[in-house]
Amino acid sequence: MVYPGSFKKLVEVLCRFPGVGPKTAQRLAFYLLGLSRDDVVAIARAMVEAKDKLGFCPLCGCLSELDSCSYCNDAGRDQSILLIVQEARDVLVMERTGQYRGLYHVLHGALSPLDGIGPEELKLDRLEKRIAEKEVSEVIIATNPNVEGDATAGYLARLLKPYSVRVTRIAFGLPVGGDIEYADDLTLSRALDGRREM
Amino acid sequence: MKERIFAAEGLIIRTRVLGEADRIVTLLTREEGKFEAVARGARKTKSKLAAGVDIFAHGRFTFHRGRTWPIVTSLDPIERFNWFRDNPDLYPYGLYLAELTDRFNSGEESCPEMFQLLLDGWQLLGGDVDHALLCRAFELKLANCGGYSPQMHFCTVCGCEVSLLFSPKQGGMVCSRCSATDAVKITAGTLALAKHLIEIPMAKVTKLRAGAEQKSELAGLTASFFAYHLDLGDLKTRRLLPE
Repeated sequence: MVYPGSFKKLVEVLCRFPGVGPKTAQRLAFYLLGLSRDDVVAIARAMVEAKDKLGFCPLCGCLSELDSCSYCNDAGRDQSILLIVQEARDVLVMERTGQYRGLYHVLHGALSPLDGIGPEELKLDRLEKRIAEKEVSEVIIATNPNVEGDATAGYLARLLKPYSVRVTRIAFGLPVGGDIEYADDLTLSRALDGRREM
Repeated sequence: MKERIFAAEGLIIRTRVLGEADRIVTLLTREEGKFEAVARGARKTKSKLAAGVDIFAHGRFTFHRGRTWPIVTSLDPIERFNWFRDNPDLYPYGLYLAELTDRFNSGEESCPEMFQLLLDGWQLLGGDVDHALLCRAFELKLANCGGYSPQMHFCTVCGCEVSLLFSPKQGGMVCSRCSATDAVKITAGTLALAKHLIEIPMAKVTKLRAGAEQKSELAGLTASFFAYHLDLGDLKTRRLLPE
């Protein structure tokens, strides 16, 4: 089927999004064509604006407007607790819980020597400098509960030992709403290890 | 025609993410050799597969032969190697054994000896063992599995009683008359250690201890031999080994 050049170009561009194949891209392209010109301009403008204005905070690594970080500059946050996550999107997940009111530190990855990611690539010197200079009393490690995340957590715990901070790891256990019957043995054994008195 | 559903005992030697919540795993299996498979939804917290399709996992896997990759449909975990949780130094060692096996194995045919070697290596890593010696024994035995074992008993060129020269290019020990320009002198202790590591079963490596000089000499010897014969290029995990 022959499409007009501009439509073909739009489909090709939409195909660059993760998880979007030619069929989905075609459906999105038709959706955009069905919108008013103002709506399409608003979508395009929002994308460009986000690209121009957003970046990663040089101190904590969170997604922020280029001139100010909403987490670092929030005086209402507990400055003595630091939560370490792998990716900037993990911060949004943590914020969604509404439980945490401390500061963040984003590693932008986990130790993965097979992919060429070692301690230098995670810029851990920045984290050490932050802990040494600020009055941090507790560091919570919230890397992913997989081999890479656990290895990174172990490495961080050892790295931060010389500093007088309490280093903790988020708990492991069963997902809410699930049946114990379907849980795997590793999750169950970790849930048993981390049991709490009632 | 190959069966659409098949099962294999495997070790996961590499993983990478695919799409939103899937994971591609590289398995070394006892029966089917090395191949990649997809674990659908394995990155979701409620996935039944999540815990069993991570690196350092040993299990019995069932696959459905998909169009591009086999799909992991179920698994029965046998063992998960967790030594790196207590000692972060062991993480690069475990990955080094995995990367070496991955790069060495083309995946064209099954090699149960190689499977057993990696399994032994991972099992011994958490015990009381000299990690550097375990890696050297693993390297030499892996080369042996592929038919590339260096000749350590007599001159590879003329067959005479050897001197203490090792030539990666000539494939092992050489006498002074036959030595090429790349031949390097090694000590009698290092030669004896290398011979011993090739011959003894992996389990006995735990009983061995060696001096720093011998270990360093042996590391250089195996690295140069692998670089020349096996074209493995730069192993990313090797530079992170705490040796």
